[in-house]
Amino acid sequence: MYFVLRRKSALQVKIQWGPMCIYFPPTVGAGGGNDIQWCFSQVKGAVDDDVAEADIISTVEFNHSGELLATGDKGGRVVIFQQEQENKIQSHSRGEYNVYSTFQSHEPEFDYLKSLEIEEKINKIRWLPQKNAAQFLLSTNDKTIKLWKISERDKRPEGYNLKEEDGRYRDPTTVTTLRVPVFRPMDLMVEASPRRIFANAHTYHINSISINSDYETYLSADDLRINLWHLEITDRSFNIVDIKPANMEELTEVITAAEFHPNSCNTFVYSSSKGTIRLCDMRASALCDRHSKLFEEPEDPSNRSFFSEIISSISDVKFSHSGRYMMTRDYLSVKIWDLNMENRPVETYQVHEYLRSKLCSLYENDCIFDKFECCWNGSDSVVMTGSYNNFFRMFDRNTKRDITLEASRENNKPRTVLKPRKVCASGKRKKDEISVDSLDFNKKILHTAWHPKENIIAVATTNNLYIFQDKVN
Amino acid sequence: MEVQKEAQRIMTLSVWKMYHSRMQRGGLRLHRSLQLSLVMRSARELYLSAKVEAHEPEVPLPPVRSPDPRLHQSREAEAVAEAAPPDGEQPSPEPMDTREAPRAEETPALCAPRPAKVSRKRRNSSLSDGGDVGLVPSKKARLEEEEEEGASSEVPDRLQPPPAQAEGAFPNLARVLQRRFSGLLNCSPAAPPTAPPACEAKPACRPADSMLNVLVRAVVAF
Repeated sequence: MYFVLRRKSALQVKIQWGPMCIYFPPTVGAGGGNDIQWCFSQVKGAVDDDVAEADIISTVEFNHSGELLATGDKGGRVVIFQQEQENKIQSHSRGEYNVYSTFQSHEPEFDYLKSLEIEEKINKIRWLPQKNAAQFLLSTNDKTIKLWKISERDKRPEGYNLKEEDGRYRDPTTVTTLRVPVFRPMDLMVEASPRRIFANAHTYHINSISINSDYETYLSADDLRINLWHLEITDRSFNIVDIKPANMEELTEVITAAEFHPNSCNTFVYSSSKGTIRLCDMRASALCDRHSKLFEEPEDPSNRSFFSEIISSISDVKFSHSGRYMMTRDYLSVKIWDLNMENRPVETYQVHEYLRSKLCSLYENDCIFDKFECCWNGSDSVVMTGSYNNFFRMFDRNTKRDITLEASRENNKPRTVLKPRKVCASGKRKKDEISVDSLDFNKKILHTAWHPKENIIAVATTNNLYIFQDKVN
Repeated sequence: MEVQKEAQRIMTLSVWKMYHSRMQRGGLRLHRSLQLSLVMRSARELYLSAKVEAHEPEVPLPPVRSPDPRLHQSREAEAVAEAAPPDGEQPSPEPMDTREAPRAEETPALCAPRPAKVSRKRRNSSLSDGGDVGLVPSKKARLEEEEEEGASSEVPDRLQPPPAQAEGAFPNLARVLQRRFSGLLNCSPAAPPTAPPACEAKPACRPADSMLNVLVRAVVAF
């Protein structure tokens, strides 16, 4: 008897022993190109074109199991969707996501000392791994981070001796018998309560939060500083990175994103507006101003232009699940870096290179400042990021194929397979192609998320959340 | 000349964006301001280099001493760029004084009374304050008449007083903007759009024209 393990294709794994063999279709794997077909599943949010500013989605995040999907918006609200348990009989589609909890996380505030309004917009949400029946997440606006506990209540005690059912106290003299209160089922109620508020630690605007793999600490990063917190302690945080110059007029770069390594609790990275990524080791010193590794790709002189400095700014950095790679997003491209190689990325994917000749116009309409995010799939084989015209792009690292899809209400019949889109950069436009000048730059996809285990993705347009999943036969 | 015009347009646009960003909710965004200042610096360098090339056949005077009235507005843009450089290079005090002195002679009604001294003072006080109050507008009352213009009626009160104290990255910006650009912001058709870019109906890309190629070549050559 012998075992043979072969990766038959990107879709199947074959285990063979003797004359017997079993095929395993993995639940995560290849995407993009022709290997997978993405279907519309759901869309959440208002239908009308008149978008209320408070409804603009500002962050999207799956929890560690993928059962919960959280969104934050400009109005400071958090909406959590829960996946229905899969219907084992009807296995043609995975469970739908329905609203589980909605709460107001942050309110607008006013800093009287600086005469500045503090926006309630939720910049980031990060889930904590589940330790008990309740769920915990961190949400942050520009200045304050909050730890929220989301818990379910589906039973309530009944049969008190001294209280009526409506809560009024009974006259003790009327009590003739005693009974033990019992829990009786009630309609499910989901409660969200703020357990910790981490405030007053950031002078500049918070752009990132990241939970450490020790599940006890987390970091928060603003334009110039990164602070380390303990989840239980709200009145103290340690500053671990400070790039503020003594004279602010000498400022040349700011921190744009930061993340802890998924496995090494001592390692984190932060990206800068100059296109560099610094990896720091907290064991080296208390203040991690000196990096352990500096990831930087020399600029291609042929691409040098007026706006080179702006478009090289990194808007997002994400470690792969394995921890071996990290991905960065700048204005025009996605780069995959091997942590063992600092001088250049191992892979570069152009998201919308046709915009390089339009940078001046994009500067005029402020689109050049858009901060796109990026994400990995569960097996780190495919990466995804957003673009304009409600397009989003996926790049398969194994097959080197890429695909452009559109989040649009036109394709909103469940299980409608999404048609790949193509942008015509110049010259003759083929049928079904869209020309660069026809792109709608008001419709941008900045936030996307991929289910940690399955091929389910959440894509946020301005005020709608689209959920797509792969076609299950 | 085309390059100069384009660079000047970019500079004006950048200044307008910086001014507008102060009015946004949440206050001044450091990253955005830095990016705008980088573009403005690039535009300024391009503009100066283009001007030097254009004036090379003539007597090589420094650009600011040219009596050309068209340069008045662009010189103001330079001065603004000089006054608010959060970039790595520190503009030396002498060119600053040189530029601002003739401006004081030519436009006595609008100029700051002692531009050179005030700029030095602001830089020092930005050091002493630690720079964190750089985002705080000064409480000094405005004295100019231009505030009656329509555009400034949109400006919240907290932004109107010019910052005499430390502003960190942009010590002089608000005052210079109010004094010099209120007219520009109001009425100039060639200026950036009067509505914030976010309000544009549908921002469409301008077709790539030879201008951008010229700009790119000029930057690379420079």
